[in-house]
Amino acid sequence: MALRELGSLERFLGLKKPNKYSTQGGKKVPVLQNNNGPALIGLVTIASHLVREAKRPELLGDSAEQRAVVQQWLEHRVTRLDNYAKEEVKVILKELNQYLEDKVYLAGNVFTLADILMYYGIHHIVVELAIQEKERYLNVTRWFDHIQHYPGVRHHLPPVVVLRNRVYPSGHH
Amino acid sequence: MKLYIADGNPHCIKVLAALDLTGVKCDIETVSHEEKVVPHLSHPVLPVLLLPGGQHLFSPNSICQYLFDVSGQAATDATNQWLEWEATHLQVINDEYDNTDYYKNLPAVLQSLHMVALQGKRAEAAAVMKEPLNWLEQNLSKKNTPFLIAEAVSVADVVLWAALYPLISDSGFDAGELRTVHGWFDRVGDLAACQTAAHKVLHGKGVEALKTFLQKHPVTHHRDSPTNNT
Repeated sequence: MALRELGSLERFLGLKKPNKYSTQGGKKVPVLQNNNGPALIGLVTIASHLVREAKRPELLGDSAEQRAVVQQWLEHRVTRLDNYAKEEVKVILKELNQYLEDKVYLAGNVFTLADILMYYGIHHIVVELAIQEKERYLNVTRWFDHIQHYPGVRHHLPPVVVLRNRVYPSGHH
Repeated sequence: MKLYIADGNPHCIKVLAALDLTGVKCDIETVSHEEKVVPHLSHPVLPVLLLPGGQHLFSPNSICQYLFDVSGQAATDATNQWLEWEATHLQVINDEYDNTDYYKNLPAVLQSLHMVALQGKRAEAAAVMKEPLNWLEQNLSKKNTPFLIAEAVSVADVVLWAALYPLISDSGFDAGELRTVHGWFDRVGDLAACQTAAHKVLHGKGVEALKTFLQKHPVTHHRDSPTNNT
């Protein structure tokens, strides 16, 4: 999973030479062997490294504040989205939905690495949502649809159909 | 900018130490464990840093990284890697340790603190921490620098030291033969900023001071089978 994601990220970033990855431990943590130095371990660490390698630092945030918010979402991805109990899914979606109430992207008005990795990590959840649930988490669905249509992001993942018009009357909770 | 902390919340140690070390100016407000500071989160989470732009940081590691960033020490591959390891191996589910059903798949540090502070099971707590501490020992012993990454202290040292402090400083907690870890741990702990932060949260009472926090954060709400590991 994480390895295909890193492959897609490389293509999004336009990195010419694909890297070789391996995994480590029961959690299959990605490892990037680096010719010029020690191996890099961890999805967030490797993804941030690739972004800098591609000279796209703005994807990590333009200011210290934005960088911190991006980092917080990247951490959220590998701590909460990669490890949750079934009953926690609703909490994860509800919190994200509330957070996105007044935002276009996770870091506010600009597209960042946080959107890419959160999109990859939440795809398997959104795919399973019934139409009614997609409407309940409308901000998540809107954001998700936005990111899957962002040029060059989707790659290894199938598109998820998102209805632009409500099927159920609003206030249906 | 405002930092919200709570007494006896172990996650506050690292942010207070980072604040002191970086010298960033910030108001500090102590609130109760139940205070809901971040509007979009369902449960009360602390510490929280309210940024000048109005956003909330509620990941202790992101708060620390932010404080280092604004004081001119940007994140690097090396600091990112240690912070990611801390968040995924110390604070979250420990997949490798599953000898007892009750504690299966729980956050390593939180789980150990429960065992030490609430149940007095120090040997079991040491067993939970064995794997991550050995990993840290392996990595430190390969390096010739006094701190994790370089000659000078970095955000990675503060984050890891603070996560381990309540356990390793407990006199009954026997982490085993970890010579390099202990040397590093003492070096970071000798910094005035770290001593002040630990005292402010624990009041010199060690894990005893964490009891209220731990009772409010039971270690049972996580998944009971490792099926979501995709």
